[in-house]
Amino acid sequence: MNTDDINLAYKIRHALDEQLDNLPASTVDRLAIARAAAMARKKPHAAPHTAPHAGFGWGAFGAFLSGPAMSRLAIAVPVLALVIGMGGVYQHEQQQQLAALADIDAAVLADELPLTAYLDPGFNAYLESQQRQQ
Amino acid sequence: MATDKELNDFLQNVERRAFKQAVYAVRKDESALDIVQDAMIKLAEKYGDKPAAELPMLFQRILQTTILDYFRREKVRNTWVSLFSGFGRGEGNDDDDFDILASLEAEQGSAAAESSADQVERAQTLRLIDDEVQKLPTRQREAFLMRYWQDMDVAETAAAMGCSEGSVKTHCSRATHALAAALKAKGITL
Repeated sequence: MNTDDINLAYKIRHALDEQLDNLPASTVDRLAIARAAAMARKKPHAAPHTAPHAGFGWGAFGAFLSGPAMSRLAIAVPVLALVIGMGGVYQHEQQQQLAALADIDAAVLADELPLTAYLDPGFNAYLESQQRQQ
Repeated sequence: MATDKELNDFLQNVERRAFKQAVYAVRKDESALDIVQDAMIKLAEKYGDKPAAELPMLFQRILQTTILDYFRREKVRNTWVSLFSGFGRGEGNDDDDFDILASLEAEQGSAAAESSADQVERAQTLRLIDDEVQKLPTRQREAFLMRYWQDMDVAETAAAMGCSEGSVKTHCSRATHALAAALKAKGITL
């Protein structure tokens, strides 16, 4: 925009400002009421500024519960719980697998058949012939 | 962080211009007042703890959103009302509140030297400028008013309008040219 355009823009601004002085009194009053209503509902300052002398009383606790720290905790706690839960399930599965292997080992060791029999090629041939007969 | 006084001063400073902005958009004084009140309350409730420097941009953004919400509600309502009620612009046109007599009365004290004819001409000129601003396309009018009436810089205007800085410059330029052409066509020189 060149200088003429900017000059025109500011002249229009001046004209619009003049119009503002001619607003009806009822409108001006209504705007003042609206402003007062807005101020009455102004967002309070953050917790450290609103209750610096409250110590560890209920005021400070309430501010903590409604503050941004609480909203971050509301996300962090479920995520942490989920991670811990997943870890627990994994550990439990591992334990179950180990227990199953231990049972098999115990059964093999407690069997009447000596452990060295499984290394004997003749025993394997015997088992195969038994399976064929069945 | 804006103190109560800073927020109050800010709202007091922008409320009339915000009202006119809303009137330009919705063309009903009562609706415009409701929109400004809603925007003020939203700013105070949700952003009352923001730094004072951020308030103009935030307020403009809220104001534009509230105006959009108004049009959405109107659209929904109008689908349920009879076709003849239209968009309600005919019956509720409160622009007549800005009559020449009112402006004459306001100016009498400050411009005693002006003749009655000058005052009438001045009032008519102001009214024509007002009309021409209202006739601008919405985005051009928003950009023009934020930049030159609300004293926001290009970056703040772009953030409030949700567009690029280049678009803001284009809107402002087009708005100024359109106003210049319209005023020239009516024989108005500023």
